[in-house]
Amino acid sequence: MTSDNIKNSKNKKTTKWISNITLLRESQIMKIHYITGVAALFVVAIHILMRLIMPFNMSLEFENVILNYKNVFYALLLESILVLIAIHGFNGLRVILLEIRQTQIWERGVNILVIIAMIGIIAYGTRTIIIANGLSLG
Amino acid sequence: MFLWRGNIDMTSATSPAKRIDNNNRINREGLRGWLNPLRYGWERVSYWFQRLTGIFLLVYFIGHVYETSSLVSGPDAWAAMLEMTQTIGGHLFLILVIGASTFHTVNGIRLIFTESGQGLGKPGRPDYPYDPTSLNNKQRSGLWIAFILAAVAMLYGANVLFSGGD
Repeated sequence: MTSDNIKNSKNKKTTKWISNITLLRESQIMKIHYITGVAALFVVAIHILMRLIMPFNMSLEFENVILNYKNVFYALLLESILVLIAIHGFNGLRVILLEIRQTQIWERGVNILVIIAMIGIIAYGTRTIIIANGLSLG
Repeated sequence: MFLWRGNIDMTSATSPAKRIDNNNRINREGLRGWLNPLRYGWERVSYWFQRLTGIFLLVYFIGHVYETSSLVSGPDAWAAMLEMTQTIGGHLFLILVIGASTFHTVNGIRLIFTESGQGLGKPGRPDYPYDPTSLNNKQRSGLWIAFILAAVAMLYGANVLFSGGD
């Protein structure tokens, strides 16, 4: 076996691995899209109501916001908003981009990019929640 | 009516099977077709708004996650970031966010019902002028409810924001 053949065989294996990266059917992904959308509606409603239980401007003062973050239940609510909307939003973007163009490279590229962006935004938002949750007011 | 006007090469030496020349797909409209709201009536407007509001809200979501990360830099950074939304432009932007999220939510719920087969009506005989039964008053009223609720939410948001937030 020549070195070119070995390289080609490795490339084929890599391509096959990438093509098998799709773990879910589109119908299952769309169910997840609807479920995350409806769930986000409820948690975002609570998030907005938390801004309206006192005068809007006062609720956005640094001390009040930090107090919200220090509440474990509210921190968990924020984390769930972050995850639900990231999944729903980036999957929505994926659907739009796949409607515009349909080639194998485009579809794989879009899938990989939205997964990376989704993980990136969840990680960045989680960092804020964790640090703000541990912030001392004193 | 769908017309295929691309080339099908039947005499290719490399592939005896049919080879479709994708570069010559002149029936493909791409983004222009996607954005054309005129051809299919209000359902097309709904399709168009659902996607535009979705993209707008995703951009806002990313901006909001970035904006709130200023919390970890202390009260001054938080106040500086918050000042951006305390201008008339900032208020108008937030009102747009309220309208977009309300429309996207209500129309999204309508779409979930539609895609699960609810409110589509029974299939009928295709008589002229061939109005599909699926694009019925239930669907259209759902769309109008989405627009009306978005307008009401925007008015409420404008009232809260422009009254000083008290």
